[in-house]
Formats: sequence, structure tokens, C-alpha cells
Amino acid sequence: MRADIIAAVNQGIIAIVQLRHRADFMRRRCGWLRLSPLALLASLSGCSGHQLRLLHPDGPIAATSLRLSVIDVLIMLCIILPTGIFVAISLWRFRAARKARYDPGFTHSVRLEVLMWGVPFAAVATLAYFSWRGVFLVNPYAPTALGQRKSLLAMPDRPGKANPLVIDVVATDWQWLFIYPDQHIAILNALRLPAGRNIEFRLTATDVVNDFYIPQLIGMIDVMPGMRTKDMMRADRPGVWQGFSADISGAGFSWMQFPTRVMTQAGFAAWVAKTQAVPTHLDYARFRSMARPTIDLGNVTQVFSAVQPHLFSRIVHAAMNGVTYTTPMFLTEHMRRDLARRVPYLSGYPHS
Amino acid sequence: MLVHLQGAWTPWLGRLTLSQIPYNSPIVLGAFVFALLMAVPIVALFTYYRRWGYLIREWITTLDHKKIGVMYIIIGLVMLLRGFIDGVMIRTQQLLADGPRSAAHLQAVHGYLPPFHFDQIYSSHGTIMIIFAVTVVLTGFQNIIVPLQIGARDMAFPYLNAVSLWLTAAGAALVMISLFVGDFSHAGWVGIIPLTELPYSPGVGVDYWDWALQLSSLGTTLGALNLITTIVMMRAPGMRWFRMPFFTWATLSTQTIGLTAFPVLGVALALLSCDRYLGTHFYTAGLGGNLMLYTDLFWIWGHPEVYFIILPAWGIMSEVIPTFSEKALFGYTVMVAATLSIAGLSWAVWLHHFFTMGAGPGVNLVFSVSTMLVGIPTGVKVFNWSLTLYRGRLRFETPMLWAIGALFLLLVGGLTGMMLAIPAINYTVHNSVFVVAHFHTMFLVSVFGIFAGLMYWFPKVFGFRLDEHSGRRFFTFFSLGTVFVFAAMYILGLMGMTRRLDYLYDPHWQPLLIIQEFGIFLYCVSVFYFCKMIYVSIRDRAKEAHGQDVWQTSRTLEWMTQTPVPFYNFAVIPVVHGRDAWAMRRDSGLTATSPDQYEDIHLPNNTIVPALLGGLAFGFGFGMVWRIWWLAGFSLLGIIGLVILRSFADDKGFTLKAAMVRRMERNHEDTGIMTDHISPPVAELMLFQ
Repeated sequence: MRADIIAAVNQGIIAIVQLRHRADFMRRRCGWLRLSPLALLASLSGCSGHQLRLLHPDGPIAATSLRLSVIDVLIMLCIILPTGIFVAISLWRFRAARKARYDPGFTHSVRLEVLMWGVPFAAVATLAYFSWRGVFLVNPYAPTALGQRKSLLAMPDRPGKANPLVIDVVATDWQWLFIYPDQHIAILNALRLPAGRNIEFRLTATDVVNDFYIPQLIGMIDVMPGMRTKDMMRADRPGVWQGFSADISGAGFSWMQFPTRVMTQAGFAAWVAKTQAVPTHLDYARFRSMARPTIDLGNVTQVFSAVQPHLFSRIVHAAMNGVTYTTPMFLTEHMRRDLARRVPYLSGYPHS
Repeated sequence: MLVHLQGAWTPWLGRLTLSQIPYNSPIVLGAFVFALLMAVPIVALFTYYRRWGYLIREWITTLDHKKIGVMYIIIGLVMLLRGFIDGVMIRTQQLLADGPRSAAHLQAVHGYLPPFHFDQIYSSHGTIMIIFAVTVVLTGFQNIIVPLQIGARDMAFPYLNAVSLWLTAAGAALVMISLFVGDFSHAGWVGIIPLTELPYSPGVGVDYWDWALQLSSLGTTLGALNLITTIVMMRAPGMRWFRMPFFTWATLSTQTIGLTAFPVLGVALALLSCDRYLGTHFYTAGLGGNLMLYTDLFWIWGHPEVYFIILPAWGIMSEVIPTFSEKALFGYTVMVAATLSIAGLSWAVWLHHFFTMGAGPGVNLVFSVSTMLVGIPTGVKVFNWSLTLYRGRLRFETPMLWAIGALFLLLVGGLTGMMLAIPAINYTVHNSVFVVAHFHTMFLVSVFGIFAGLMYWFPKVFGFRLDEHSGRRFFTFFSLGTVFVFAAMYILGLMGMTRRLDYLYDPHWQPLLIIQEFGIFLYCVSVFYFCKMIYVSIRDRAKEAHGQDVWQTSRTLEWMTQTPVPFYNFAVIPVVHGRDAWAMRRDSGLTATSPDQYEDIHLPNNTIVPALLGGLAFGFGFGMVWRIWWLAGFSLLGIIGLVILRSFADDKGFTLKAAMVRRMERNHEDTGIMTDHISPPVAELMLFQ
């Protein structure tokens, strides 16, 4: 009997580990998703599988989130599917017209009540374990998912922090500035990354809170004025992904997008060298004029060289000391009426 | 002035100028015409039939908990319609503004709404649906049903009850008037900080949101106090704790949350008002402020508020499912324990609303596990409902359909809720429409519960049933609409679409947005059938009239009263001998309610003071929003003066003589209708006589 139980548990663990490998394998193939009802629905509606961004991660952080989602859904379905089926069968079987067995006295059962507390408890305990693994695997400050891949059931290993590329992210109203402090360059409203290298973001905002998000690569992290948050990621392969703000920040919020181009290591180095040679420099004074409220309608990008050292800390400290960039009323309440007057505040406005 | 204001300010009108009325916006103009079309016939009918006096004597001044409850529900349903129209506008904008090539109409860049207008619409959608629709309707149900279920004549504090109603009405009126005078908040229903601070929200929108919430939260807090006292103190003899109907237990848990949580919202908003009016730095990013303080305070209220909305709906389901299963609720004691533990846990999970703030693994893990713990008692409830169905004799009348629909929605919401409780998953979907779809699933559990309750208790309150035929159509189209809108929304979430976007960058979302719009169309059809249901039911009210127990299998004490319920509820307070008191009496053939002896019934007189307080509260809110200091000052003084004056009123109340009670009851039993129309007089009118 006991041996049977142990064997069953072992089987279960093996199944989960295999599932993980299968998920990895299938993720590369991408074919399996077309079979899932969800994707079927999506493809019926004319979407290709790759539009389901969260199901096609391209980096270890997003892949970990997906893996945990699959485990979570499977565990929950073990309870929810039987319950749903039980309800459906009861509805059919005990409808009055059918004159099935009617037992108004069946209103209490200690055995069932123990079961109905016990089963959800077991599920929550299992999910709590995975949640505990998860918070370390994708911990924004030191995600262990970037380290050596281990089984999901193993203890958290040490964070993979080897030689990350540091990028300072500044969200203004309503644009994104990415500063590469070690390379002394910066780029506005677009992001360039090398593939296969760990990236460490340090994030702050000038005015209001935004969320930094690239669905296939990195989960959301709040970008807050006067504070510094961090996040880490790695991209598996070169390509272009859409990054954007995920938290409402005012009139220009919907256009706060930054195409994220992941390049080969050599390509990235070449881009850095080229950018270091551009004549436009960036110091705090220029940043201040750039940070006034601007709706980036046309996704206008710009690169800067010779970025002032410690610009990021300067911005954080300025916000802490009460520097704000007031939103003029014709970008909010009077937006309708003063359509003509807001044009200078729009970059790439088609009619300007 | 302690703060820097953009725009003009004058002592008499504050920030109010003629240009604040957006008559040049075709959308607002359309809304205004629509509101007129709704209002003019109502006003005309009241004038034509000379019913204004009746309205004031019987409704505006009433302290009767049932009439107050009905008014709560009417306000809630009107706001539900307004919130629904907002929802239609949001979805339509997103459909039209998808992809860089999408066309621009009116004055928008893409779609037909400029960003600031769009932001107002989703902010008012959220605020209205949560605070002024679902909360208000559920409060109405609790007001009507709880005193009846526990065998009381009225609430513990009938006067306070009316004050709560009129404060809520004042808040709702502020939200409605913001549509036509000035603007509403653009910072979401949660009031994202520091976007709500003066430099980033220079207009009056955030102030409207702030004071509307402040007034209604005051009303809700007072209402919670009242309901808790009623349940603790006013139960009929023999109604022990574990004989209370389950809906009353749900109300007790709900209002305990309400009493403890809503003051936190009051404080959070008061500090925000200090920032916006006095130039303090509680929540600013700089100068020592802490914006996370607001986020914490808001969600310390906000999460319990979620259960404030869902628990009464679960209470309604726990009344409806046993009635139409012809069986007592399975595992009553366990259900009570589950409800109380959900109410307790609701306090320990608020941080899951901002897992992405950059907290360390320890903090996120604690709140992740506490959130998942809520799933245990919730699972217990689902199992209990399913086992109530098991070996029952199920009748699928409309209330039952809604309850079953809610049960299935809860399964879906539970599945996705458990995903969101895990931070590693939450990071990828935190502000996406996946979350929006999840919490709409949960709120729809509440809405389905509301409609179950509406169909279930309507005959009790008004004396006739709602039309079954159009009721079923209403249910079918509403459910189909739910499936189309939110199934598509879950998938859009997995496609990486985030919330509150005025312009969508990805044209691949178009097909699913069209599916959503189709779902919205089905919702519109369901609204038509809802109106038809109300119309047909009122037209055929004589045909559908029913006695005290419409469903024949209901179990609790409210079904023991005459139908429609007389203003004194019970001619003689019943003695309770067990759980499901009415079912017990029916099973033992003790349904005859005419006692041997009647006694005098004492009830409070009607009074206009609560409605005046509501009006003054509206004046105060409006004055503060537009910074018209004299108006706000006089209104506040008026409120204080009126409260003091009322405390001196020598009002002995109203006594209905035993003989009269006997006549009314006997008449009622013979004819099935209330022939003697009697209700307490208005106290203030008596002063002039």
C-alpha cells in the first residue's frame, strides 16, 4: 500500500518534470498551441498563434511565468472541472420533471464537509509551494530564472547576475528615455538590447506612475517618481518586440510605446559605437526641456551621446525634492476645445 | 488660495464658468438629450396625475426600510444603466481605435473619443458600477430583506437609514452632474496616485470623484452601523444566532467589513483632499510625500470592498438555490464559518493589487498565500451549493437561472483568480485586460446574484411576479453577452493587451474586439428585454398578483408577511422555533398568520430632514468641487444646524391602534390587497396643523 503511494507520488513528479520539458519543446515548435481550444478560438478569429504573446515567451523570465501558469491552471482544473461537471449533472438529474430521488434531509454530512475543506486546502498548499518558487524565480531584483536551469521542484538557486548590462529607464509625461550609463548613450522612445546577455533595468519616473512592460520578455514593474525600482531579464534571440506603459498616466499614455529591438552581441556593439558618435549630447538641462508633457503620437525616437554621468540619480533626487512638470489644462480638461493649441506638445502629429 | 490653480476663480462662482458646460461636444450633448428624454416623461406623468405630494409624503420623507430599500435599488439600477452605457462607449472606442491606420472621428486622434474624454468614461464606468450601482442595489436588498428575515418591524435606526440613503443619492447626483457641468476624473476608479494630484489633474474631475466617493462612503458606513445593530438587537424571540437565515449572516459579515473598511477610504480621500486643497504633501512624490501610502490605504479599503459586493450576492444565491431545490441549504454551519472567514481574510490580502510595485519576494509571497487562502472557504461555498442541488427537486424559474449562472461564473473567476494570486504569473498580466476580465467575471457573479434577488423578492415587495417570458430572454441574452465579451477579453489579455488604452497599437486585436462588440450588442438586447419585462409585469400586474408565498417552497421569515408587505411588516412579531422558520411552519401546517389578539404598533413618523440633509450634502460637495466657498460653508453650517434642530424635535412617533391593525390584516386576507392605505404622517407637516 505504502509503496503504491510512493510510486504514485513519484509518477506525479516525473509527469510534472516531463511536462516542463514538453512545454519547452513545444514552445520551440509552437505547433501545439494551435490544438488548444483557446488558440483555436483565436485562429478562428483570424489571429496567428504568435499574437498570443504571453504564450510565446522569448526570454527566461516570461517563460517561467508561462510555465507556472500552466501548472496553476492544471491544478485548479483538477478541482473546477469535476465541480462543474457535478453541478451540470445534478442540474440535469434532479430537475423536478424527471422525478429523480428526492431527499430533503440530505443537508449535512461530516465526511463531505471534511472533504470540502480538505481538497481546496491541499490545492492551495500545492499552489503556495509554486508561488514560493515563483517569487524567487522572477524576483525583479535577483531572478533565479536567469541562473542555471534546474527542475521546478528543486530549491531556489543563486541569482544569475553575471555581468549584466545596466540600463536606466526614465518615464516622463509621456515618453520613455533609456540611458546606458556605462556606454554614456541614451535613446528616446525605443530600446536596443543585446541577445543572450542579462539586462538590469533601474527605473524611475519624473511625474506619475507608469508600468514598464514587454509581454514576451519581461513582466510588469512599476516605474515611480522619486523612487527607484529594478528588474532583470534576458532575451533569447534577436528580433523586435513591442514594449509599452501598462499603467494609466494621463493623456499621452496610450502612445507611450517603445519598440524593443534585440540585436546580436556584435550588432549591439556596433550600434553603441555608432551612437557614441552622434553629435546630440544629453545633459540635465536638455532632459528638463525634453521631459515637459509630450504626447508621442508618431513614436519619434532620438539618440544621444555623451550623456551626463549620474543623470538617473539626478532625476530621482529632483523628483524627491519636489520638481514636477505640471500638465497644462489644454492637455486635460480643455483638450477638446484647444485642439489647435496642443499641437506643439505632440511629437509626430500627422497634421502639424 | 493655498495651491496654484490653473484657470480663473471668482468669489461667487469659484471655478465655474459658462465654458465649463461642454455644450459643444456632440457626445455630451447626446447624453444630455438622452437624460432629458428619460426625465421629461417621468416629470410630466407625476405632474399630470398630481402625484408630487404623494411622492413627497410616501417616499421622499419615508423612514420605512422597504421603501428606502426600493429607492436604493432604483438609484442603483439607473446608475447601472449609466455605467453600462459607459462600458459600451469604452468598447466601441477601442474597436474603432485599433491600429495606426484606424480612422479619426469627431475630435479624436483615433476612434471617436479624445484621450481625456475616454479616460473620464472608463473612470466613471468603474466608479459608477462599483460604488453607485452594485453596492447600492445590494444595500437596497439588505435594507428590505434583513428586518423581514429576522422578524423586526423596522431597522434599529430608521431615521439614520434614511440619512444613509440620501447621502448615497447626493454622491450619485454629483457623479451624474459631472457629465454636464465640468468633467469627471480621468485617473481610473481607483484614483491612481500621483495622477490625481493637482499638477497632473488640474481640473475639477478628480474633485467630483473625490467628493462623490466621500459622501457615499459616509452613507455606507452609517448604513453598516444600522444593519449590524439591527441584526444584533432586533431579532424576533427565538431567533438565535444559528437560526438566522443565511442572507442575514451574509449581511452581518458584509456590514462588518463595511463598518471597518469604509472609514479607511474616508481617511485616504480626506488626505488627498488636503493635498489638492491645502497644498500638503501626503501623497506627492517629492517633499516627504509617499504615494504608496495612498495605494495602501485605498486597497486596505478596496479589497474588503470587493467582498462587500460579493458576499451579499452569495447570500442571495444561498436563499434562491434552496428555495428552487426544495431543500434546506447544505452545510449551513459550514457556510456561516466560510462566510465569516472570507470576511476576516478580506483584510489580509490588499497588497495583491500591486504586486508589481517592486516589493521583495517575502512580502509578495505572504500576500500571495493569504490571497489563495480565500479560495478555501470560497470552494467550500461552491461545494455546498452543488450539494444543495444534489437530490433536490429543481425548478428552473428565473431566479434559479440567475443563481446557477452565477455559480458557473464563480468557477471561471476562481480559476483565473488563483492565477493572479501567484506573483510570478501576476507580473505578466497585472494591468492587462486579463485582470479586467477576471474582476468583471467576479462582479458579474454579483450582478447575476442581484438579478436573482430582483426576480426572487420582487413579488414579495410589490405583490406581483415579474414576467417569466421576457425574464428568460433577458437572462439568455445577458449570459450570452457575458460569454462573448469576457471570453474574448481573456484571450486579448493573453495577447498582451493592457487596460485603459485609448489607442490600441496592434491591429491583430481587431477580430476579438469585434467579438466583444457583438457581445455588447447582446447586452443591449438584454437591456431591451429587461425594460420589456418591467413593462409587461406592470401591465399584467393584476393577472400575476400573488399571495404571501409566491414560490411555495421558500424557507425564511420574510415570506410569512402579507404581500405586499404592510409598513409595519408583521401584525404580531412571530416566535421562531428553528432554522428556516417559514418552511418549518409550512411543513407543520401552521401557515395561518392571524393571531388571536392584535396589539398597538408604534412606528416613527415620516420626516423630510434626511432628504434635506442629502440636498445640503450635495450642495457642500458641489461647492467644494468648484471651490465656491460660500456655498460649501453654508451647506455645511446648514447640515450641522439641521442635525442640532432635529435633536430637539418633540416627535412621539405614530401609533397604529390594535383595532386598525386587525381590520387591515383581516381585509388583506379576504381580498388579497391592502384596502386601507395608511402610513405614518410627515412630522414637519404636523407642526403646521
